[in-house]
Amino acid sequence: MGMLDSLDFLDDVRRMNKRQLYYQVLNFAMIVSSALMIWKGLMVVTGSESPIVVVLSGSMEPAFYRGDLLFLTNNRDEPIRVGEIVVFKVEGREIPIVHRVLKVHEKEDGTVKFLTKGDNNSVDDRGLYAPGQLWLHKKDVVGRARGFLPYVGYATILMNDHPQVKYAILACLGLFVLIHRE
Amino acid sequence: MAPKEGVLSQQSQEKEWSADEKPVKIDKWDGSAVKNALDDAAKKVLTDGYGYVESYRLVDGRLGICTVAVAFAAFALLWDYLHPFPQSKPVLIVCVCSYFLLMGVLTVYTTYKEKGIFMVALDKDKAGVDPDNEWTLSSTLKRYESDYTLQISYYDGQSRQSRSLETTHCVADFIDENGQICMDLFEPEVKKMHVSLSSEKKSK
Repeated sequence: MGMLDSLDFLDDVRRMNKRQLYYQVLNFAMIVSSALMIWKGLMVVTGSESPIVVVLSGSMEPAFYRGDLLFLTNNRDEPIRVGEIVVFKVEGREIPIVHRVLKVHEKEDGTVKFLTKGDNNSVDDRGLYAPGQLWLHKKDVVGRARGFLPYVGYATILMNDHPQVKYAILACLGLFVLIHRE
Repeated sequence: MAPKEGVLSQQSQEKEWSADEKPVKIDKWDGSAVKNALDDAAKKVLTDGYGYVESYRLVDGRLGICTVAVAFAAFALLWDYLHPFPQSKPVLIVCVCSYFLLMGVLTVYTTYKEKGIFMVALDKDKAGVDPDNEWTLSSTLKRYESDYTLQISYYDGQSRQSRSLETTHCVADFIDENGQICMDLFEPEVKKMHVSLSSEKKSK
């Protein structure tokens, strides 16, 4: 009996019929889908594959600090100019980097190569690029910073540093939505 | 040992409806749990008590809309994974638009078509000749309030007339201190409505 009592919180679920159970699962799926579709919608609107990023390092201080949230757009027709802050990916690195454009070379056929540097770093980024890579190209750009929100990204940083916290929160939320009937 | 006796007597009263199940017990402070439990109880009276068949048409409509919406989202995720972003753009636009459109359709469906209806029960014509009579149950329980309103509509398949009755009670009338649903109090209430709805039919 003790066993059964401890499972009382599952009673709501136990009383459901097949359709209600399926709706419960759908409900959970719709919460996830809504978040996903908002993200994909933002991707389409901004043209960037990752329209919101969190600054993870202090290499751009005092412009951006750790934990700032950046909004990116990536209009391919707009030329890249010196002084702009770009987010780019480097082969072999999972996390994109946010740095300022230092030098740009443009050819008449439209191809561009450019060099970046962190405001707070003493040298340019050639040491960060893939071995042998001297310049970045348009295909490496994830987006260009258009706006920022300070501190908001700290939650993300915390979760990144402690993945257990992230999984625990996700598991709790998921379980709550699944067993709690609307 | 008084409490034990109480439990026993309650169980025997409920035998009619739920011989093999333990009495429904809920968190009485949780509004949606209270509403769901009372809705389920009303359903039970119509299905187990009167032998009506539940029609899932309305629910299936909602489930269908949700399923298609989730399918769009899943497809977008898969397509974006197989064809990384700039190439997947047209597909993403279609999926995102369809998804939000379907969410709108879902809202319209639940507010204008389902309107809080939690059960449609069919009183099948015994001979299978006349159209079925339809019983529709809907309820409201406003957030943070204790008044539960149960509405029963009856649609006569033969005369094609429909009428409805509504009753509002404090949830405390049907739920005891421990959060147990008192079928012995709730069931007569539903039956009373059922009787007056079906007797109106005869008097006409």
